[in-house]
Amino acid sequence: MSLDTSTRGFGWRAVQVFTVLVYIFMFAPILVVIVLSFNASQFGGFPMTGFSLHWYAKLLENESVLRAFQTSLWVAVVTSVVCTVLGILAAVALVRYEFPGKEWVNTILIAPALVPETVLGVGLLLLIRFAHQPRTLWLLVLGHIMLALPYVVLVVQARLIGVKRVYEDAAMSLGANRFQTFREITLPLIMPAIVASVLLVFTISFDNITASMFWRPSGVETMPTEILSMLKISISPEINALGTLMIVVTVGLPLLGGGLARYLARSAR
Amino acid sequence: MKLTTTKRLERLTERYMNGGLDRRSFLGLAAAAAATAGVSMRWMPSALAAATEVRFDGWGGVVQEAIDKYAFQPYTAKTGNKVTQGTFGDESEIITKVKTATPGEYQIIHSSGVEYYKRYVDGGFNSEINEANIPNMKFVMQAMIDPFLKITPKLSGVPYDYGTTGIAYNTTVISEAEAKEKGAALLFDPKYKGKIGGYGDMATRVWYAALATGQNPNDIKDIDAVWAKVRENRDLVKKYWSSGAELMDLLAKGEIVVTDAWSGRVAALQQQGSPIGYLDPAGSYAWMEDMLILKGSPMAECEELVNFMLDPATAIAVAEGQNYPPSLDPMKVKLTEKIAKMPAFDPTGTMKSLTFADPNYWASNLDAWTKQWDRISKGG
Amino acid sequence: MSASALSAADRRRPWLLLAPSLITLFLLMILPIGIMTIFSFYEFVTAGVEKETFTTANWHEFLTDPFYHMFLWKTIRVSAITAILCAVMGYPAAYCIAMTTYKHKWVLLLLLIVPFWISFTIRTFSWIHILGEQGAINVSLLKLGLISEPLPMLYTEGAVIMGMIHFLLPYMILNVYVAIEGIDRNLISAARTLGCTAWQAFYEVVLPLSLPGLMAGLLLCFVLAAGSYVTPQILGSTRDALFGNIIFDTIMGELNWPMGSTLSLVLLIFLGAVAAVYSRYMGLSRVFKGLGG
Repeated sequence: MSLDTSTRGFGWRAVQVFTVLVYIFMFAPILVVIVLSFNASQFGGFPMTGFSLHWYAKLLENESVLRAFQTSLWVAVVTSVVCTVLGILAAVALVRYEFPGKEWVNTILIAPALVPETVLGVGLLLLIRFAHQPRTLWLLVLGHIMLALPYVVLVVQARLIGVKRVYEDAAMSLGANRFQTFREITLPLIMPAIVASVLLVFTISFDNITASMFWRPSGVETMPTEILSMLKISISPEINALGTLMIVVTVGLPLLGGGLARYLARSAR
Repeated sequence: MKLTTTKRLERLTERYMNGGLDRRSFLGLAAAAAATAGVSMRWMPSALAAATEVRFDGWGGVVQEAIDKYAFQPYTAKTGNKVTQGTFGDESEIITKVKTATPGEYQIIHSSGVEYYKRYVDGGFNSEINEANIPNMKFVMQAMIDPFLKITPKLSGVPYDYGTTGIAYNTTVISEAEAKEKGAALLFDPKYKGKIGGYGDMATRVWYAALATGQNPNDIKDIDAVWAKVRENRDLVKKYWSSGAELMDLLAKGEIVVTDAWSGRVAALQQQGSPIGYLDPAGSYAWMEDMLILKGSPMAECEELVNFMLDPATAIAVAEGQNYPPSLDPMKVKLTEKIAKMPAFDPTGTMKSLTFADPNYWASNLDAWTKQWDRISKGG
Repeated sequence: MSASALSAADRRRPWLLLAPSLITLFLLMILPIGIMTIFSFYEFVTAGVEKETFTTANWHEFLTDPFYHMFLWKTIRVSAITAILCAVMGYPAAYCIAMTTYKHKWVLLLLLIVPFWISFTIRTFSWIHILGEQGAINVSLLKLGLISEPLPMLYTEGAVIMGMIHFLLPYMILNVYVAIEGIDRNLISAARTLGCTAWQAFYEVVLPLSLPGLMAGLLLCFVLAAGSYVTPQILGSTRDALFGNIIFDTIMGELNWPMGSTLSLVLLIFLGAVAAVYSRYMGLSRVFKGLGG
């Protein structure tokens, strides 16, 4: 890089300070939630009257929270698996084949990411009403699959483009059929994209609220809708504890995964 | 962007794949991550299949905690039947849910009044209780049973407790004298702009606006004046609370200093030591609550639960816990001191001193007024 | 490979692969929007009941009732403010990250991505602890003696905007970052060599070349803000509701399916028009690229 830092003056300093402020803006509220989760006071806000793990204990006894967590987990796992499979198939079709109407297909596959989620929420609800069907957990899963599909297609597509066709052609000329080729050659090469997709869809499904508020069957709460219900009641420290736990899990797991991968790579050398 | 996390992951994984981490270890890592995410949890969420489970939906917070502690837990201990609980903040919300649910999904609702009872009946959601299964009903005030009988000769719900929506105020900011003097007008007092709260439900807002314009809430002659008052209130209000627990939270934290409030919740706050005063202005909005059993519920189990809850000892314990007087007839059952001191308590058991909503009047205006209130609350 | 060299099986294959996805999306997205259009012409009787006739009453109500117009305008205004503030805050930050010579740039990028992993609901309600009467700001100011009464910051439009910026900023920063990162550094050095000051180099080279990324970010932030209803519900008073809240309340609260369908279509058409205008001038490929990282 040929940027001469010695000629960076006041302007650059100002930008740097500004950026630090932006980072503080992004993280301060989250840190506050974590800090307040240990608040001994019965109210959720400041001042901190003491340090206590009481709210975490209360959380683990909270049946509706545990139920919501279970529901979210089940929905997210099923969604991840099905959506990734659908997305891989679609990506393969888009990258490896030419066919008329490809532009339209591409647009349709990406559309759920562009259409406002509220509209998608209402739409699906109308569909089942039209068909005189009740809301079920499967509806929630289907809806999540729709929402996450564009992302899988984009991610796998991006990776698949980089996989040279030559390898697949070589395998096929050696006698492998399409399925074997895919399984032995293509799949391993796009594995990072697949893993990334699964994690991505899981996050999208687990965290989804805007559409899930429309689709969830009565009496069923997912993790985010449960948090929303709890918020309507009061800003209790229990919510902060729940928030902290979720932050730790959603940030900690990927970091841990990345760190472990790095460690293993180093020790494998 | 979420996707760039995957880009990062991809870059990371690529690097490590090139750096020697073979596919197996990588997949192993991914699997380990999935495992830690909760493979130990049950695979599918359980459904409400067994008939020995009864579903109860109530108002949450301290009220439901009291019912749970003094009624549900002993009931489960005695019969082995479980009570699955849900909460709602606003009866319109639960009615909407009942409308969009399949029969049997919602079973017992802690419903808040005869005017709401009519809505369930109009929607066809009422059941027919076999009163022979609820012998403890003999202890309930006839004055509370009659209004329900007028709507359905065969009861679908059993009166359980009653209360009022009066005015709660922070005594450190508003003196008792000032409160007594201004009464309901406190809700419209510009002096407390930005520190006023209110229940976000149409009925309460219209009721109090009617009182403020000197009208009878059960026979409003000038609805436009009422809406004007509602708008006035809206411009002074910091937040409309949507549940009893939120009401308590806002008052306790001092976020609001005056609001219409439910008698029991205020009593609970006072017991917790918060400096909150309460008064019932003339024409204060009273309601009779009942344990409503919906169509499609497991009737025998529900009736058994309700009967259990009506047992005088249980009902009194619950009443003291939730701070609402029970539906037990004071002439037939000896009630305790604590109950006698509760705001809204009627020692005669005739319910004559309290003003209740006329179910037919309110049902006929429901749709139009709800729509109008929705608009006004949003700034219309 | 020329088309004639493809066998019938080859021609069918991509469609077989696409079938599950396309069928899913048709059933769950395209068909519902069609049904939504039909429902918008039904007649509302009472909560949860509608007559399956053809009436333009709902559309008429929307077009004539100033209540809805006021809301649409409010939503546009709030979303635009949010998007612009995101740009103002995000651009310099993205510039800094892209141009920094800091050794561990990946840390900065990681810190940027981490908020994405945290649940949206939590990120939103965390603002209650910043802006509330018992929140960080008020408590600090009170302690420092700068104010005697807590400032009412929560449950206002400002709080809603803050919450939305907090949620949307990473999208903006990433879009701009990707754009700036993709600028050929030689262009900048060339400008400097030719005698430009750092500021001129930025203004003449970086800014114009990063404009597509900035516009993509603005579009994304605007569209996501305009369709939201959860943030106003958590951080705003009932008066700070946006168009999404009206849709939610009409459907889930009033159970007025015809009107709710009409309003949803309005939102769809409106945001679709915005995207179409954008696409005409800027092209959507960049937005797709932004989505795909």
